[in-house]
Amino acid sequence: MLTRALFLSALLAPGGVPDLAAVTPPDSFAIRAARVHLGGGVVVENGMVLVEDGRITASGANVTVPDGVPVIEHEGDLSAGMIALHDHSATRGENYDSTRAILAEAQLVFALDVGHSDLARLASEGVTSIVVAPGPQALVGGITAVVKTTGRAVKRRAQLDVSLSSISLRAARFPTSYAGAVAELTRRFEEAEGAFADAAAGKLPVLLRVGPRHEVQRAVEFAKRLKLVGALYGAPRAGELADAIKAANLAVILPPFDPGDDSRGPKSAVQLAAAGVPFGFALDAPARHPASLRLGAAACMRAGLEPSAAWDALTSGAAAIAGVDGYIGSLAPGMDADLVLWSGPPLDLGSSVVAVYVDGKRVFGGDE
Amino acid sequence: MRLFATWLACSLAAGAAASPIFAPDVRPGTAQEGETLFIKAGRLIVKPGEVLDNAQVIVRGGLIIEVGTGLAKPEGAREIEAAVVCAGFIDPWSTLGVDAASVRDDRTGIATRTVDAIDVFSNDRLRLETLRSGVTSVRTQAGDKSKFGGIGAIVHVAPGTSREAVVVLADANVAASVGLSRGGRKMDVFDRVSEIDKLISEIESGRKYEEDLTEYEHELTEWKVEVAEKEAKLEKDFKKAKKSRTKKVEEAEEKGKEFKEKKYKDIKKPKPPKFDLDKEIMARVARGELPLVVQAHRAGEIRELLDLTEPFDRLRLVITGGTEAVAFAEELAERRIPVIVWPAPLGTTRADELSGHDLGLAGRLADAGVRVLIGSGGSSASRDLPLLAGVAIGHGLDRAAAFEALTLGAARTFDVADRIGSVERGKLADLIGLDGPPLVSTSRVRYVIVGGEVVLTPEN
Amino acid sequence: MMLLLFAGPLLSLAGSPSVHEGVTVYAERLYTSTGEVVENAAIRVEDGKIAAITGGTEAPDGDDVLRAVAVTAGMIDASVRIHTGNFSVEDAHEIQPHRRVAEALDPFDYRWKRMLRSGVTTGLVCPEDRNVIGGFGVVLKMGGEPSIAARTVKADAVVRGAIGGEPSRGNHPARGRPSDFYSRRPTTRMGVEWEWRKAFYDASAAARIPERAFPGSDVLQAVLAGRVPLSIQAWTTQDIRTAVFLKEEMQREGLGEIDLIIDAAAEAWKEPQLLTRSGVKIILPPFDADGRTGPDGAFIAWNVAKMLQDLGVPIALSSHGASDPTQRLARQAGYAMRGGLTFDEALAAVTLQPARMLGVEDRVGTVEVGKDADLVLWSGTPFEITSRITGVLLDGAVVIDPRQ
Repeated sequence: MLTRALFLSALLAPGGVPDLAAVTPPDSFAIRAARVHLGGGVVVENGMVLVEDGRITASGANVTVPDGVPVIEHEGDLSAGMIALHDHSATRGENYDSTRAILAEAQLVFALDVGHSDLARLASEGVTSIVVAPGPQALVGGITAVVKTTGRAVKRRAQLDVSLSSISLRAARFPTSYAGAVAELTRRFEEAEGAFADAAAGKLPVLLRVGPRHEVQRAVEFAKRLKLVGALYGAPRAGELADAIKAANLAVILPPFDPGDDSRGPKSAVQLAAAGVPFGFALDAPARHPASLRLGAAACMRAGLEPSAAWDALTSGAAAIAGVDGYIGSLAPGMDADLVLWSGPPLDLGSSVVAVYVDGKRVFGGDE
Repeated sequence: MRLFATWLACSLAAGAAASPIFAPDVRPGTAQEGETLFIKAGRLIVKPGEVLDNAQVIVRGGLIIEVGTGLAKPEGAREIEAAVVCAGFIDPWSTLGVDAASVRDDRTGIATRTVDAIDVFSNDRLRLETLRSGVTSVRTQAGDKSKFGGIGAIVHVAPGTSREAVVVLADANVAASVGLSRGGRKMDVFDRVSEIDKLISEIESGRKYEEDLTEYEHELTEWKVEVAEKEAKLEKDFKKAKKSRTKKVEEAEEKGKEFKEKKYKDIKKPKPPKFDLDKEIMARVARGELPLVVQAHRAGEIRELLDLTEPFDRLRLVITGGTEAVAFAEELAERRIPVIVWPAPLGTTRADELSGHDLGLAGRLADAGVRVLIGSGGSSASRDLPLLAGVAIGHGLDRAAAFEALTLGAARTFDVADRIGSVERGKLADLIGLDGPPLVSTSRVRYVIVGGEVVLTPEN
Repeated sequence: MMLLLFAGPLLSLAGSPSVHEGVTVYAERLYTSTGEVVENAAIRVEDGKIAAITGGTEAPDGDDVLRAVAVTAGMIDASVRIHTGNFSVEDAHEIQPHRRVAEALDPFDYRWKRMLRSGVTTGLVCPEDRNVIGGFGVVLKMGGEPSIAARTVKADAVVRGAIGGEPSRGNHPARGRPSDFYSRRPTTRMGVEWEWRKAFYDASAAARIPERAFPGSDVLQAVLAGRVPLSIQAWTTQDIRTAVFLKEEMQREGLGEIDLIIDAAAEAWKEPQLLTRSGVKIILPPFDADGRTGPDGAFIAWNVAKMLQDLGVPIALSSHGASDPTQRLARQAGYAMRGGLTFDEALAAVTLQPARMLGVEDRVGTVEVGKDADLVLWSGTPFEITSRITGVLLDGAVVIDPRQ
């Protein structure tokens, strides 16, 4: 399926001594695929992506491949890697410090064990980046990070995690009530120290953890009052409040979908799309299997979501929510070379992952 | 129509207590009892491996009465058109329609019948969503995780007001499980051995019961012959005997003695084995009349199960789960033991027996020649079966094999292939119309027909 | 067919409060709660308010006319206990008068609709009684746009607290090092009472010495000044006495005049002179068949409402948002009548009395021109066991339609 044609012209130079100047950097290559999903709904038949130094330097139908750059021929589909917007992989449960309700300056990037097998598992399902998020118990759990499945951080300070969910009110410490939580959070944002200052100034997006609809309503009002930017996470029925969410300029990170889950979750995606609310998907591995990410998107399509909107939510839309759309989420030139080679259309659950590249390095699959 | 109207009224009553209840009006053109349907398919998947382009299907009286190309539309028939038409999907491992208490019940026995627990009114929304996903039949099971779940049933996922209206096959299988962690407690080797031994001894006692019954019938026949012979002889000797008796009575009187009647030695009538419903059912299992569906996951259990069931040459074993079944793929293929796989993406929070759960299981087993079926893991979420099949395909199962697993394969395993599982003359009209190939995530189900009744159209 | 299936929820949406252009309710008998009964009354409703009442008239024709045998004002439940579980109250401190339960409510909760169906259009919701002073209660409409802000009739209507076993339940004395705040809070009734007194004395001190201000001291000062009523839950005689003594002590010590409402005062009948002497108002809990009610097994007598009424103590009845149909507010009025209340007194105890107690009588509690069009339509004489609630209007919107 995956054939690699090597053009080792340099090695054939006179005298058999490689001319070092002419040798292409080892991580330069091009991939030609039957269908290339560039992003934004654009699919190019027989397209090509050129990768140099871990970045995409050209992509589309007419790509000129420099001499000496190997071209990988792929009979299936090629896309950007998927992004899981809320995840706990490779943190070994060390993503929540139970001694404090508010730990705003904690950086989740330091909870990550970069060598952990969780990350390889993510890659094998086509997930190349995750947002490392704290456990659900904290009121403010720290600052999330966008991390590649190789462990490389794309963004160390992605969002300030803030909870208005009842899950954070169950510990025997202040606060145990919605009113107490709102009051305490308001005070912190108004005092505006450290991460709260950045968030209050709109420089650091917030990740507002919520659950049932009244929590969504409370969080939307909270965000509006304090003029916060960011996304809601964890509200399966957020779609029913899409207009209010839109008015507050917030995005939504839908909770992961398991077989048997209430169908109102996937329906939410359709409602959010109709209202023009940006949304993406959480994964919450390792408690969830990485394959759940595409399963959730498929369930949304079954509920009526357009495939192009579903794909955006897994890639470029997700990158925008995480604030990393300048680096990942599409195959545009200049982007990181996070590539997934599929046996067929990536949104079909029946397509399998053939190979995965992160920053131009193959991390899964292939012939060798 | 009538049935459906009632179901609808009930669903309204249950679903929206505050909203006013209207009697549904009867729109002409919705499915009537015995309505004739003329279904035009851009591509008709008659059965796995057999496809007709631009084909038509005629349905009348709930049955498929004609399948072919160039068929004319019968007069007055309702016309339905879809890009792709195929048989409705079958979930061979479900608990849909069985109330939660019956599913969880761990005191079910061999003779527990799932049909007795089916609640045709349960969860209208879920049933409707199941139909929307293209699943039209399920094998549903009370006590699915019990040591003995009892007799499973094949039922239609359909509006119905009675069990009779939805049951396709009341006695589809006997279900059992071995090695499941119960109440969070892990199994140890002793639990496992005792569960398998219990299962085997039940099969054995079923077979013994069967043998005793056969022996009894044999003895009874012999007894009847013997009695008949004796009666004939008696008849023949009657006059002679009467004469001799009269003489002997007279002699006795002369001697002043009491006459003693000569006694015939009675032939003892053979006794039937003591009636036992469990054994009666296990006898049907032992002679292969009902498949035995055993949920088993770990290699140790599967090994033992295969070894101990081998002597029962007519037993039809079906394994569900089979987390570590790959190790025995060849044997399973050789002994034609189907495996019902649950390809759900599971994270680290899962039951102990599912550790090592692999989405590639279905593909690996199928590659080794095992008949693989796909089920929703004994949940009521049959709705998500087509998605799970997609996951299995994405992890190595051949697309055609997956389609067969969801249609004719499941029907064959549970002896309902003469009624459902393909689009052929004489079968129940369980059909789905899609706008693209089945089991492709971007295809949408446009029409669903169950037993000849159109239960889903793009308009609703 | 299937279309109709989905029409179900849509119809119920249509029934949710979208203010109608105008509607006329025609009642054979209109009980206005002002002591007046209007025969053959046409009540014109416009813009959510009662626009006109015409007595002794023929029933007008038209699609916008709703008919009923009897009409009353929408009932007011003075103790609606519909919370978001434990999260409606802050456990971390025993005294928090400044918290607001309104911030913790769920407008999507199905129980609001149940209140509406039982004829209750307005109610007081207080924090759950898990600490000594739990914070502000709020007077809400039971329906309307699903947002607490939109449904609020009066924010910060009362300050809520509790006396009795509940504020100390689950707390425990610290053994060794305290592991959480439950090991530090009052564990006895005496401790609870001390917290009450301390809070008021501290607040009073804070009024004089600004450095001693603490979160909520301003709220307690408002309570002492009588600007915000104080609602105390006290079921038993012992607890009712403690509540009254607290009020009297503040009075005696010159700290202030507390406008005290005792909620769930099941045993108020035992020492009536205490109540008349101190001028408190009483909210009665739901009646109970065998008399025993509440967490401490307080005894409620059938004639308690009658007794208090005769003593001139202002009373309101409540259902506690009960799910049991035999405990809903209309039944409570019936039970109070069985105990001796007249019809007018019983009607007042579920309409005008609670409206006055909560300071919302300018908007709700009677059927008068200019007031909110919250109406209950009955199939017969209200509170009779044979009478049924056929329709409910909330702010002029037909939320339970008698025509369906």
